Amino acid sequence: MSDDAGLRTPPTRLSSDYGGAISIQDKTHKRRSGVRGIGASSWLKQQDLSAPDTPNRIILADNKTWVMSLSNREYWVLEPHEDADTFPTGRDFSEDGVYPLFCQSSHRWFVIAGEAKAQMMAKLCGVDLRSENFESGAVAQTQLALVNCIIARHTIDDEDVFSVFIDQSLAEYTLEVLLDARQEFLS
Amino acid sequence: MKIMNCPLNGPRNISEFVYGGQVKTMPDHRLSSDSAWAEYVFYEKTEIGLVLEWWLHSPSSYWFIAERHNGSDEITRTFAPEAIFCDRVDFKTSEVPV
Repeated sequence: MSDDAGLRTPPTRLSSDYGGAISIQDKTHKRRSGVRGIGASSWLKQQDLSAPDTPNRIILADNKTWVMSLSNREYWVLEPHEDADTFPTGRDFSEDGVYPLFCQSSHRWFVIAGEAKAQMMAKLCGVDLRSENFESGAVAQTQLALVNCIIARHTIDDEDVFSVFIDQSLAEYTLEVLLDARQEFLS
Repeated sequence: MKIMNCPLNGPRNISEFVYGGQVKTMPDHRLSSDSAWAEYVFYEKTEIGLVLEWWLHSPSSYWFIAERHNGSDEITRTFAPEAIFCDRVDFKTSEVPV
């Protein structure tokens, strides 16, 4: 048996646009943060960020910042145009009922675009993600290839996309699965 | 695939859920007898009929309560735990034996 028997080559094309009918981009290096607690929505208002009224929604809070609600007490702030290494410091979480979430470190962020993205996701996910049932602004906390994930439909630079958030520990596997599912949609 | 309706996330495949045991009233652990505490911790109702159970929607880490018939396995309703657990449980410290 050779030394590398049983080892698999991990995907190396992690930071580029994959092109083709469906593009899969890695936005993990882009800025995101979260806040949880009974005072989370009022804390967001203090930061001049509006929050969705109901769970599992995503809205554009200002020109380039998206706020996603995962429950009545948990929100993620997504900034796809800002690099994570410019993350603002000095935010005050000392108020009662407000706790920071470190989704920048805990989750990988993939962005899937293209006409056939809902059909591709149908191979992996039990939720119907077609636009008639999963409109822009909708969020699903579900499983993708049996891995827990968050899927949000919104726009980046006027393009309709799925933002997919996966736990870091399972992201390599999930990316392989996504690339494999995409194969049949490439011309 | 069997479907369960999560009160927060809507209908989802049953594979996304984790069973958390029957809903039971916790006795005051400082005053109850050993047998009463063991009854609470280890035993569940086994009569055929509707039972209330804790379930977890794993992708969102959301705990809720489901009413299920343990004979037919039919889930008759699901609801948020706030419907039952709306007050904080505080045992009276004055009743604790010294």
